[in-house]
Amino acid sequence: MTWWRRAFPLELAEEGHFSRREFARFLAVVSAGFTAGIGYLWLRKKPLEGASDPEAGHHETPVALGLATDLQPGQSRLFKFRDAHDACILLRTPQGELKAYRQTCTHLGCAVRFRGERLECPCHEGFFEVDRGFPVQGPPTRPLAAIALETRPDGSLWAVGELPKPTDLPGRIASCPREARQEVLS
Amino acid sequence: MSRPSRPRPGQFSDVALVITLLVLISQLYLFETVLQSVLDGHRALLPGAFAASSVLTAVALLLAFKARGIDGGPQA
Repeated sequence: MTWWRRAFPLELAEEGHFSRREFARFLAVVSAGFTAGIGYLWLRKKPLEGASDPEAGHHETPVALGLATDLQPGQSRLFKFRDAHDACILLRTPQGELKAYRQTCTHLGCAVRFRGERLECPCHEGFFEVDRGFPVQGPPTRPLAAIALETRPDGSLWAVGELPKPTDLPGRIASCPREARQEVLS
Repeated sequence: MSRPSRPRPGQFSDVALVITLLVLISQLYLFETVLQSVLDGHRALLPGAFAASSVLTAVALLLAFKARGIDGGPQA
């Protein structure tokens, strides 16, 4: 017998015993933890980091984005909206529409970029369509947060708030096969 | 040699354990759904989710600490 076993005569078999009831108590405590988590989300007034907050739109400070004619179809530009950390992307779709989205991917928060006809998250190859920001391929399951744009009479473009996220999420594009992915990547 | 059909006094029964596990799985699913909704800016379901989660936790705690009727006693 080694010296430390003599010094610390623990019954290892008994130490490792874990009864069903103890296990059930552990599960119940974990369950209470989930309840506490939901309660925290309920009581917390400030939105979570990276979360969509359309209600803040009532007291939003508009951000100037230059002239609406500056961007050509297929081009994009980055801008900050609410603060220096709120990165957003303004783009003109190949059809000529101006769209703006928060740049944070809804999967794990990487920055999306405009590539081809879709927004791409390079971290895990997630893709979003540009019309409404819906995920069409890869790990993301929630749409990007869309920024409301306003074109003023002098032709200047302004970001004026955040649009509420659409709830009618269409089915993932099963018809977005690997060939389409290759096309985007090439 | 046949196994005893009833659990020994103090032993947590299979039924209670399965119910507790189901409660925890439900809690996990509920929390994931709530978190996703909150990230999307939909907070209206939080009060209802909290109430449902509290009921599930109460069931789990009741089974874990007071399941006298099921397994013959709360002692470990």
